[in-house]
Amino acid sequence: MAVDSTAEGSAASPVSQASSSGDVPADAATQRGSSEPPVDSIVGTADDGIVRQIGHDDFDPVGTLILVVIYMIILLSMWVFMYFIEFLGRGLTVVG
Amino acid sequence: MATASGPARTFVDRFPSEAGVIKANLLVSFVALGIGAFFGLVQALHRTDILRVIDSADYYTMLTGHGVLLAIVFTIFFLTGFFHWATARSLDRPAVSTLYSWAWFGLMTTGTVLATIAILGGLVPNLGISADVLFTFYAPLQAHPIFYIGLAMFIVGTWLAGADWFLSYRAWRSDNKGERIPLQMFMVLTTMIMWYLATLGVAVSVVFFLIPWSLGLIPSVNPLLTRTLFWYFGHPIVYFWLMPAYMMWYTILPKLSGGRLFSDPLARVVFLLFLLLSTPVGIHHQYLDPGIAEGFKFIAMTNTMFLLLPSLLTAFTAVASMEHGARQRGGEGYLRWLGALPWRDPAFTGMALAGILFAAGGFSGMINAGMNINYLIHNTLWVPGHFHLTVGTAVALTMMAGSYWLVPQLTGTKLYSRPIGLLQVIMWFVGMVFMSNAMHRAGLAGIPRRTAEPQYQNFEFLTPIGSIFELRVQIALGGTLLFLSVVLFLFNILLTSLGEESDRPVDEYLPEPLSGPEGSPRVLDNLGLWTGIAVVLVILAYTLPLAGIIQNGGGLFGGGLPIPATVSAGLDFVTTLVTTTVNTLLEVAA
Ligand code: HEM
Ligand SMILES: [Cu+2]
Repeated sequence: MAVDSTAEGSAASPVSQASSSGDVPADAATQRGSSEPPVDSIVGTADDGIVRQIGHDDFDPVGTLILVVIYMIILLSMWVFMYFIEFLGRGLTVVG
Repeated sequence: MATASGPARTFVDRFPSEAGVIKANLLVSFVALGIGAFFGLVQALHRTDILRVIDSADYYTMLTGHGVLLAIVFTIFFLTGFFHWATARSLDRPAVSTLYSWAWFGLMTTGTVLATIAILGGLVPNLGISADVLFTFYAPLQAHPIFYIGLAMFIVGTWLAGADWFLSYRAWRSDNKGERIPLQMFMVLTTMIMWYLATLGVAVSVVFFLIPWSLGLIPSVNPLLTRTLFWYFGHPIVYFWLMPAYMMWYTILPKLSGGRLFSDPLARVVFLLFLLLSTPVGIHHQYLDPGIAEGFKFIAMTNTMFLLLPSLLTAFTAVASMEHGARQRGGEGYLRWLGALPWRDPAFTGMALAGILFAAGGFSGMINAGMNINYLIHNTLWVPGHFHLTVGTAVALTMMAGSYWLVPQLTGTKLYSRPIGLLQVIMWFVGMVFMSNAMHRAGLAGIPRRTAEPQYQNFEFLTPIGSIFELRVQIALGGTLLFLSVVLFLFNILLTSLGEESDRPVDEYLPEPLSGPEGSPRVLDNLGLWTGIAVVLVILAYTLPLAGIIQNGGGLFGGGLPIPATVSAGLDFVTTLVTTTVNTLLEVAA
């Protein structure tokens, strides 16, 4: 891969420390007070804010599950809604 | 490969000639975006009768320009630039010949300029050049020959571009025997195989029928045949738009969120499913065409429903990767982790908002896909409402957001302004919520698409909720916000490219997926096999309908009127059975 600029990598580089501090860097506690909002900061520095590494087996995407279920509920209720709006009160649309 | 020590080396330092080619592609793409968005604004104001600055007869010229410049030029030039970047980056080697790369870029650009001249010629009175055929260029609408010729050059250019990436891959393969194809390269290759298969249809239509017809060499064409060939290509082009966006969601969005891709093999399976299933479904755009038997439409609908599977897999993976990032950044709780995402980064936020609107587009897409429900909304404003969520946001906004991360790698300069970038993506989201929801509802009220003045004497459209006036205002307001958003985007990118070189213009490191390709079956990388299956599916889905269309429509070159067709019920039954069985088997195999 390209340049490694995860938390350790970028902490070594003065450029990134100055400009990405608004994004909660790893050592946020010591930095937060002094930092200005990132007016011209760098795109793609989210991994400077990593506070812990989560491996494949420790990751349990329960939030994703909840969001997917919410989406499914919205879909279902829109289907039901459509049934009332579009079909009841009109004739059936028949294929063939 | 660069290491963590020493000055960061950006893409442009490692691959200067590739960066040049990519920048040229993006330049054409963004110029098309600017012009197309302006036309969009004019349309949105015109058809809602808020402000009419053009003659209604010129509306269709603009609409053609809008469709072609945005749905074809903006998206595909972005794709070619992005794929060129992905190929060099993921193989970590330059293209085989810079001259060759410039050649395909030149051919695509020349074709684009010719087609654009033909379209814009329609605005100049007495010029005798016009192409008011809309981006679907259906016969019997006829364009000036240079429109079709430009289009053919453009498509051949994309073929050559694909060959460029295949050559890079071959060169890499000879140095890396037995290794798994890098993920981004895999995505580029499967997408291009799908594109080769799909563009055959439109190439046949343009070269054998439309060009000779526009030159007067043949007196007529079989309109249904050219329509069917268009849609044979017209659905896969949807995936040609989406694949670069998906590629960003799979390989870049996790990084932008501070996490890692959930599963590399799952991403490969999704791209293979798109390769297999995106072509044999084009007839789902022709549910209302007489001359195609209902049975064939039913098969197309069944195949389309199978396409939901890879789309839902993508939604799951994208969200799970974001959640991973949020939790690594300290996010907690069932949903509170959403707050730990890097919402101030316009590249991240743009892609996340694009994903949200894509989920809404998924719903209206399911309505479109159902044969009988489709009758409710066919050719109404609902349909533009739908595809401004999909290609117009999921793709376009992801591309714009991705540019905030990509362009600095090509210019070596920092993004001019992150806050303006953030404002821009939010404006797009808000503008699109206005425009698209109003378009959907206007469609339910029966307001037609592709109409300069959707107003009729002694007739009022009715809506169950709200009023038609409110819908018109929402469309105009949304269109205005969208146009302003494009202006901000172009301004930000322009100033970025004029900026000062920086040691670390952007953080371009991409982490490895949580589960890599190692354990996954090797057959996933057997591209020859998957191409073969894709071809078989196309033959199954299209042979009989095409035969019927040629037979009933007065031969290859038409001449008669197409007549409503039915194929004997038995034949329908057999084909349905075969296609669904094959589809099910594929599902199981995958
Ligand atoms: C500035 C933002 C945009 C505005 C204000 C806008 C507005 C519109 C409107 C009002 C129509 C419907 C015209 C009609 O049916 O009478 C339309 C059609 C269309 N738009 Fe957009 N749009 C925008 C961006 C996009 C983008 C980003 C894409 C694709 C990447 C796109 C692709 C299309 C296509 C393919 C059509 C259909 C053309 C046809 O019917 O032939 N638009 N647009
Ligand atoms: Cu389609």
